[in-house]
Amino acid sequence: MEGLWALGDAFVRMTSFESLMHVAWATLLGIFVGSLPGLTATMGVALLTTLTYSLDRDTAILVLICMYVGAIYGGSRSAILLNIPGTPASAATALDGFPLAQRGEAGYAMALATAGSTLGTLVGIVLLVVFAPPLAEAALKFGSFEFFWLAVFGIVISGQITGNSSPLKGYIAGILGLMVAMIGSDGLHAHIRFNLGIDALNGGIGLIPAMVGAFGFAEVLTVMWRHKAKLAAKHAKSGRVLPRLSDLWRYKFTIGRSGVIGTMVGIIPGVGEDIGAWASYAAARRTSKERQDFGKGSMEGLTAAETGNSAVVPGALIPALTLAVPGSAPAAVLIAALFIHGIRPGPMIMIEQPEFIYSVAVMLVFATIAIAVFGLSLTRLFVMVLRIPREFLMPIVFTLCVIGPYALTQRLFDVWVMVAFGFIGFVLRQMNYPIAPLVLGIILGDLLDKSLRRGLTLSDGDLSPFLTRPISAVFAIVIAISIVVSFPAVRRGLGRFNPFGQGASPEKPEGDRP
Amino acid sequence: MGFDTALADRITAVVLFSLGIAMLYGGYTMDRLEIRAIHPASIPGLLPMILGAVLALCAALLFLKASQAKRQTAQQTSEAALPAEPPAQSLQNLLITAGWSSFYALFLVGWLSFFAATAIYIAGFIMVFGSLREAAAPTERLKSGAFTIVFSLLASAAISTLFRDAFLVRLP
Repeated sequence: MEGLWALGDAFVRMTSFESLMHVAWATLLGIFVGSLPGLTATMGVALLTTLTYSLDRDTAILVLICMYVGAIYGGSRSAILLNIPGTPASAATALDGFPLAQRGEAGYAMALATAGSTLGTLVGIVLLVVFAPPLAEAALKFGSFEFFWLAVFGIVISGQITGNSSPLKGYIAGILGLMVAMIGSDGLHAHIRFNLGIDALNGGIGLIPAMVGAFGFAEVLTVMWRHKAKLAAKHAKSGRVLPRLSDLWRYKFTIGRSGVIGTMVGIIPGVGEDIGAWASYAAARRTSKERQDFGKGSMEGLTAAETGNSAVVPGALIPALTLAVPGSAPAAVLIAALFIHGIRPGPMIMIEQPEFIYSVAVMLVFATIAIAVFGLSLTRLFVMVLRIPREFLMPIVFTLCVIGPYALTQRLFDVWVMVAFGFIGFVLRQMNYPIAPLVLGIILGDLLDKSLRRGLTLSDGDLSPFLTRPISAVFAIVIAISIVVSFPAVRRGLGRFNPFGQGASPEKPEGDRP
Repeated sequence: MGFDTALADRITAVVLFSLGIAMLYGGYTMDRLEIRAIHPASIPGLLPMILGAVLALCAALLFLKASQAKRQTAQQTSEAALPAEPPAQSLQNLLITAGWSSFYALFLVGWLSFFAATAIYIAGFIMVFGSLREAAAPTERLKSGAFTIVFSLLASAAISTLFRDAFLVRLP
């Protein structure tokens, strides 16, 4: 009941003409960013973070959340019309969305995607409001030992899930991220580490320049390397553009299940929207009566994928707000933005700023309403956006990648960091190394380092509390099982017990670009 | 030019192994701050040492895995052809983008005013990938070149104004 009051209070506080205007432009921009192949949600949030520096706290976070929600939704446009996901979160959407567009039902496919995204985000928001406060309260029991394992858990799980066919590459990406975090002044004794004699590295590698490089510049390189996409223009304007309530009612269980799956996937550190979409899609396919239509233009498949990926957004904010551990790459940037704007995410959030979680829930509701309105009313405008030639778009994107990180610190060194991470991100992506664990490593490196050394200091160098305290022990067991399961021999052995048999789950393409 | 091959993985494994050993060594030889009488378990090099060792181990596993994959690929190539490599045009696009963008970010910005640097960069990018490549007739080239220059100046002015006046950034 207290939560409902807090939610109502946040709603009244956040509702003003000015904030609704911010919701409108930021969500619209997010949908544009998401719908253009080559611009991802992470890039959009990272670039916009540099523009929100001068805004007040609530407005800045509102704008970033609207960008995040809009971009994840916007990816469905190019997935349906071009068969190229605007963001990787929409890869599963393309499986059924594009065949629907080819059948002349592009408008209806986009309407279903809009309805799925809206309902998925709403399910996630409900779970955010229900789970985040008790999780923050439970996290107050965490000490250094538990936070150490939490950081390890994030890297291992993220590496394993996003590494897809090669968890080893996921682990390596995570370790590289942790190593990047070791550069600069350490969190306990302020000792400068690995600065290579460069004074500008004393403060460490900034998350925003690294993210803008790994997701922005790397994406520019990838787009220019790929072939030009062709728009299924003749299909774009055809068909009904409002979802039928009967269809939504028919898929009510799929929507509810996908919303819950997406939110749960979001809660897992560093996994992200694409996994949420694939997991929801796979679950829908296993239980559907129209299983044979999946991949050939199934409305249920499309709804499941879009509901799943959008539900990840509120889910990813649950650990981000309560544990300062991001559930996805865009959430990692949001954490950085929260710090910039004076909010300290983590277990203390319900004590220091108890109203903030409810404010975030209201911001998500506003963004959801905006995607529903824009998604259903501006179909033709989004089709026009998809026609912007890449040679006009990409130099502007890169210019923003340059000036964005510079704007935060006013030093050219961050531009060089961005360029370096762009090349690193591009090469890693081409070699099928997931980028999400790398980002998570950069975020969690400080927590891991401080927790390990603080814990050892508290126990006077004794390792046993890391394994004997109840929560630590559970983390340690789960991590050990996760690593053992990632060995190919063990996976093959477990595969024999898979009740769904081979081929029950759709194949997820390699790589990740949240 | 393939990035995701067994050979690329083996080369990467060697690089990562070296990086891991370097990190391990760097952590081991790092100042232990005895002069500040810190607890020996909280030395700054502790986690870098662990990370270096773990990375070296993962790199060794990657090398072994890539070697096994190479043997399997060698067996399979007699039965099926290897996938086609990306066309030379794509590689050329990549190299031009990487070179021109790096030139802009590392050299032009800071040397010229941000407005001028950005206008030159955008105009160059569009001419190389768009107007010059696609336009055939001289008059058409002239027309699209003029459009490109106007577009670049407008885009650069818009970005510069946005950051300088709206976000109060002192541009480089």
